[in-house]
Amino acid sequence: MGKRPPITNRVRELREEHGKLSQAALGEAVGVTRHTIIAIEQGRYSPSLETAFRIARLFGVGVEDVFGWEG
Amino acid sequence: MSFREKSAWVMGAIMLATGVFYAQLVAGAPQAPVIGPLIPYVLAVVVFSIVAQVGLAIASPKEANAPADERERSAIDRAGNWSGVVLGFGVVSAIIMYIGGWTATMLVHAIVGALIVSTVAEYALQIYFFRRAV
Repeated sequence: MGKRPPITNRVRELREEHGKLSQAALGEAVGVTRHTIIAIEQGRYSPSLETAFRIARLFGVGVEDVFGWEG
Repeated sequence: MSFREKSAWVMGAIMLATGVFYAQLVAGAPQAPVIGPLIPYVLAVVVFSIVAQVGLAIASPKEANAPADERERSAIDRAGNWSGVVLGFGVVSAIIMYIGGWTATMLVHAIVGALIVSTVAEYALQIYFFRRAV
């Protein structure tokens, strides 16, 4: 596995808060695959700024409420 | 496993198997005209690739029609970049061998071989980057 990006996220938590939205449904809503959502949640992939904004807007929060810098 | 990873596994296997087939044809008659092994090789690649892609698309029609997302595009681009390095190394090596005394026939076979190896490397790297999440 590659070096993990130093970015944390609350995607899984927000998904569960929003009626247990599935990874596939979230992926479809923001234009990525379910596997990319899984990689984001596991902290293995940092999404583009556009996808980060799409995820935040979908949950009705700001980008910094979803993504943070580790440490 | 995502559709694109499945596709990379299948296409990598096809390129590897047909590459071995090509190598056997060339080894059987190394100085025969280039077109001899090239035609059955190209036909095998085309037929197996079409059959495999149709099979994958029937198994996952929705994923097959969806464009690659940002993570997949990044993995595909990086794999393509490194496979280009492999191809360049193979082609330059073949040219050096030609200058050193290889026949034009062997030069062509070596370049086709470099293309096959770089394609197999491209699919292997795609799988690696898909799993590594890029």
